[in-house]
Amino acid sequence: MEITLKKLDDCRWLIPKTGKMRVPGLVFSNQKLLEGIEKDQSLLQVANVAVLPGIVKHSLAMPDIHWGYGFPIGGVAAFEMEEGVVSPGGVGYDINCGCRLMTTLLEVGEVRPLLKDLVSSLFNHIPTGVGSKGPIRLSKADQAKVALQGSAWAVKKGYGEPEDLEKTEDRGTMGGADPALLSDRAVKRGLEQLGTLGSGNHFLEIQVVDQIFDPQLAQAFHLFEGQITVMIHSGSRGFGHQICDDFVKEMAKQVSVKGLELPDRQLAYARLNSDLGRKYLAAMSCAANYAWANRQVLMHWTRETFLHTLSTNPKKLGMSLLYDVCHNIAKIERHRVGEDEVSLCVHRKGATRSLPPGHPDLPEIYRQAGQPVLIPGDMGTCSFVLAGAQGSMDQSFGSTCHGAGRVLSRSKAIKMAKGRAIHRELADKGIFVQSRGQKTLKEEMPEAYKDVSLVVDVVHQAGLAKKVARLSPLGVIKG
Amino acid sequence: MATQPPGYAFLDHTADLGINVRGEDLKSLFETAAKALMHLILEGESQAKTTDMNITVSGQDLPDLLVRWLGEILYLFEGEGLVVTFVRIGFISPTRLDAALRTVPFDPAVHKIHHEIKAVTYHQIQVTEKGSFWEAQVIFDT
Repeated sequence: MEITLKKLDDCRWLIPKTGKMRVPGLVFSNQKLLEGIEKDQSLLQVANVAVLPGIVKHSLAMPDIHWGYGFPIGGVAAFEMEEGVVSPGGVGYDINCGCRLMTTLLEVGEVRPLLKDLVSSLFNHIPTGVGSKGPIRLSKADQAKVALQGSAWAVKKGYGEPEDLEKTEDRGTMGGADPALLSDRAVKRGLEQLGTLGSGNHFLEIQVVDQIFDPQLAQAFHLFEGQITVMIHSGSRGFGHQICDDFVKEMAKQVSVKGLELPDRQLAYARLNSDLGRKYLAAMSCAANYAWANRQVLMHWTRETFLHTLSTNPKKLGMSLLYDVCHNIAKIERHRVGEDEVSLCVHRKGATRSLPPGHPDLPEIYRQAGQPVLIPGDMGTCSFVLAGAQGSMDQSFGSTCHGAGRVLSRSKAIKMAKGRAIHRELADKGIFVQSRGQKTLKEEMPEAYKDVSLVVDVVHQAGLAKKVARLSPLGVIKG
Repeated sequence: MATQPPGYAFLDHTADLGINVRGEDLKSLFETAAKALMHLILEGESQAKTTDMNITVSGQDLPDLLVRWLGEILYLFEGEGLVVTFVRIGFISPTRLDAALRTVPFDPAVHKIHHEIKAVTYHQIQVTEKGSFWEAQVIFDT
């Protein structure tokens, strides 16, 4: 299928409705980012998603879009509740993969001399790597509580403070979870992985705020230039992967039994009003809650490591959660379609919720500023804090971008990094990195990613979110 | 048509990893795919005591069977901490296979990890007969 793009303005392109597409595609991008996008198959994937029953308005692509499996990464699609569908491939295997940012009262000058020690202490205290297990061993009963309560379970167990909950999307607990629906395999894989970072693009990063774009919003988020922040990027680990896998297989079977035609089997779906569709959402919520509890525990250990390594006290450190967002999720939300406000199932696969000021789902502390949106970049350049804006409700079902997005395949990255010591190149820039394997470091090197600055410029210009601050990496740990 | 020896190559996919596999028949195709998956995950040989097991996998058709078969190999590693070192497919039809596996426990001291594979996907899955040999393509979520 040939994809044609119709330019609407400097940051919006339309994929006109053709063939079996039920709605057009809408791509947020700019000329430079588009050149990269057109080389892979991600735009075809945007068109494929537009084929699914009950899709509303547009199949959307954020500027960090890249080729995924089934849905593109950086894709957003909303489905109406009666005729529409839910697709586990539209959420991804790493359910509630997401990001949290902590602010501190520390300034860069105080931390730089101890940076190497901090990075190696974090690396020793935070379990990382493929299949890594943490010191937490859950009983099946406790795991069910994690699946039901999410961050609230972690806070009850002493990992963090009650006020962390209001600074987490959905207060860190997604309703409707039902652990009784989980397979034995999912349960087993979740027992030993709570409090582990994982591998691949997951990381924990010490950063410095190096640029403020909007002083008023920065103040509302307690951000100032020269301040030390810590970002955690992780998800629901093997527990979430298994839940997604179980339901993709079941839905693929149903699609085949019913003889439904799909452009890609990975788009397998169930009707939202079917038993299987409801079961998936209840199982997915278990994984979402597990991921929030995971990031809550990781934050707690990060705070402990800072206190110990810097020989300071909690008051001086002032490590406080700014916000926690999910990148891979399906949620039932209220959105305006035409003249009516309706419930829709919004799939965000590699996209972030971006609620504008005044939205009723925001906690009181961010009601005026809008939701903090956290955009991790690659480990060599920078990350961003944005604030949700009204344009997201008007154009993208309250969504914006989620990161830089890969531009090089892993094998191309390794080829390009051949003979180079990536950790040394980063150290020359003042960035200390510790990772389990050299290969991960090469695959995740800065050149493998799009320029995240271009990505956030597009969403800022399109009115999906407002730029607040830029964060530069100082120290990174990876799996 | 010349005969093609069993073999595999890794695919270039922007976000994820994939394999392109060849086999002289379906059995050899599925055995080689399992080997390719394990090589994508790790390298290294352990002298630890091995465990043999027999498994049966069912699917809707050949592509589904391949996804489910590789899913079993991946689960043994991710869920049970077992590295599959040898596979032999005894029986295969488009909807079922019986296989004998040999495994060793994962040992971080000897097994060097290459990639975390989250799942075996159906995205662009292909199993094709090419006259004298079979070919398949599988993409993994990483």
